[in-house]
Amino acid sequence: MLSPRVPGAFAPGDTPMHRLDPRAKLVLLLVATAATFAACSAWGLLLVAAGLAVALVLSGTSLATVLMGLRPAAIILALSVASNAVVLVGQPGFSLDGLARGTLVVCRIALVVGFALSFSSTTPPPAIADGLAALMTPLRRVGVPVGAIAMSASVALRFIPLTVEEVDRIRCAQRARGARLDEGGPLRRLRGWGQVLVPLVVGLFRRADELASAMTDRCYTGERTALLGPLARRELAVLLGAIAWAVAAALL
Amino acid sequence: MIEVSDACFSYGEEDVLDHVSLRVGAGERVVLLGPNGSGKSTLVRLINGSVAPSEGSVLVDGCPEGLSHLVGYVRQDPRNQIVSSLVSDEVAFGPRNLGLPREEVLRRVDEALEACGICELRSRATTELSGGQQQLVAIAGVLAMRPRYLVLDEVGTHLDAAARRRVSDVVERLLARGVGVLEVTHDPLALFGAARAAVLAAGRVAWQGTPRELFLSDEALALAGLGEDFSARLLGVAVRRGLSVGSRPDSRALASHLRPGDVCSSGQPRAKALFRPYLTSRMVFARGSHFSLRDVSLDLGGVTLVLGLSGSGKTTLARLLAGVLEPDAGEVLLDGRPVRAGRAGLSFQRPGDQLFCDTVFDDIAYGPRARGLSERRVDMAVRAAAHDLDVGERLFDRSPFDLSGGQMRRVALAGVIACEPGAYVFDEPTAGLDGPSRAEFRHLIRRLAAGGSPVVVVTHDAGEWLDEVTSVVLLRDGAVVQQVEASVAGSSPELFWAAGLEAPPIVSLRSELRARGEDA
Repeated sequence: MLSPRVPGAFAPGDTPMHRLDPRAKLVLLLVATAATFAACSAWGLLLVAAGLAVALVLSGTSLATVLMGLRPAAIILALSVASNAVVLVGQPGFSLDGLARGTLVVCRIALVVGFALSFSSTTPPPAIADGLAALMTPLRRVGVPVGAIAMSASVALRFIPLTVEEVDRIRCAQRARGARLDEGGPLRRLRGWGQVLVPLVVGLFRRADELASAMTDRCYTGERTALLGPLARRELAVLLGAIAWAVAAALL
Repeated sequence: MIEVSDACFSYGEEDVLDHVSLRVGAGERVVLLGPNGSGKSTLVRLINGSVAPSEGSVLVDGCPEGLSHLVGYVRQDPRNQIVSSLVSDEVAFGPRNLGLPREEVLRRVDEALEACGICELRSRATTELSGGQQQLVAIAGVLAMRPRYLVLDEVGTHLDAAARRRVSDVVERLLARGVGVLEVTHDPLALFGAARAAVLAAGRVAWQGTPRELFLSDEALALAGLGEDFSARLLGVAVRRGLSVGSRPDSRALASHLRPGDVCSSGQPRAKALFRPYLTSRMVFARGSHFSLRDVSLDLGGVTLVLGLSGSGKTTLARLLAGVLEPDAGEVLLDGRPVRAGRAGLSFQRPGDQLFCDTVFDDIAYGPRARGLSERRVDMAVRAAAHDLDVGERLFDRSPFDLSGGQMRRVALAGVIACEPGAYVFDEPTAGLDGPSRAEFRHLIRRLAAGGSPVVVVTHDAGEWLDEVTSVVLLRDGAVVQQVEASVAGSSPELFWAAGLEAPPIVSLRSELRARGEDA
């Protein structure tokens, strides 16, 4: 089956970022996000941007992908910049200060999206779940069902492509029997989507049932062997470097 | 030893299994045959421990519990079995649930991938694989748990001949290692190499014996739904004349026990090519950076068979011909006008993919309703289509997803027929159907074609169709290798080889017999 690549979806490959341990990558993502919001000077943000450039290069993600990832939020981002720049209270007019503030926020969001994309496009969903489980292990002591949470995360991630597949399947099946889903005015099209929605929800529940029984067939109980070995030295070094970078960005 | 003794099971009021007893020993392969809805899948689920018998017992090596660990279960559709998006993680799923240490899990993943010959798929995404590769991954996932027994529930249904062969090679190696196998199938060729065969009919074990005895007994073949099956009948004739049922079907040995008269077409009139209406296509279809189909130009009348390896563009072609996809360049015409979805009917490879309504009635009625017919005429159309496909009216209020695989297929096909389209495109219409249902469906196709509609059948089971169709289109890598008369394709294995396919057994048999005739 060929499906168009969604920005941020895992793309198999062999970049340095692909080879990095998922736990290390999760921590790196947290550190990078903290750095983005802690940096307040222009130089600090530039340093964070330089970090993003390194991450993009190391993960083989293009800038175009990041821009595609931002596209769904583009209107909201543009509106927020504009509304910060326009002053309506008191002396109505245009505020350069507001414009700078709005742009700063949008830049931060773009940076975080970039980091998240370079993480998600190089880490397969099961590895994300494994990494999450490993990082949450200490919580096991206070009775948190870490294995079950990690599995839920993994199943939830698996259902994103399944949902897309299911929508395709239902629309295709309806078109094949003469439904005109993408013709007519916006109202008719909206009604067409309504026709897809009910079978979609039913279909997804059915897939979930099937998945559950397939899991039971293979002795799933909730607790599973952790597959990640001890962290390598190289990964620890990368983490230390990243923390130093984040502190520098915040202090500049 | 798997021992099923006097097991009963019912869904609500309906008795599905009625005092069934069956044994499968270590290292032996037992083939379970039976018509659709005879309770095969339920029996398999009983053995795997996912449902418990209401009466009787199921023991595996003397144990009544923990069956899911001892018995590996491979389903018909790998899509319903695969739980992870990554191959290595999928195979590790079982052993990790068993709580094995990390090194042991990794060792078992290697071992299972190796046993299935798919080490190179290790870090691929499961959704990107072909159906055959997915089925091998599903088997590897089961093998990694080192089950002592394996139940295969019609695992070949969605696979082409090459993929089926790979699966049966894997199974053969497992048998040699002492794993016991219960194989549910409709394919008489699966009987080669089996220790025993059992026939389940209406929830009871109606017959048990060796494959040889099965081929010799008309009664057993009829119970198994293979009474009308062409290859089962041929094998019956050959076995009577002394063919031994060896470990693998061998067309040369078979040919030496047959005469040319045995392999003539079944005597049914072939659908005639009609000049009108015609389904014509001249098109290019591209998806992403590579072409899934290019420069395909076809004139289709009568019944056309489309053959090709998986990934050769068969399904894409089917969707284009039915107007569900649009070509990037070129056009598809039905009777001189561009084809639109709904004017040509399309049935999907997996019936479950085609169904989406709450009840069987609504699902069959979807097409007629979309055409804006009055409720009374919708009702008539639904009843007529249900009658054609032998869908009982008592099923009308059931959910289509609660039905057995064979019933689901019939409901899906009824949904297509009810639209009364001007042309029909069927993608693997008989996959998962038993012998009698297949024969009925072929009969229906003959009737549709006699009514003047062009019919296209896309399949990887060429054998059963060659005597029914007008012409054969062979696809390879998204291009047409050849379009020939069906009678020519029926006796020339070279044509299939040119498309990278294995020749269907009946075709190799005919060419073998012809060669013998020329020698003599």
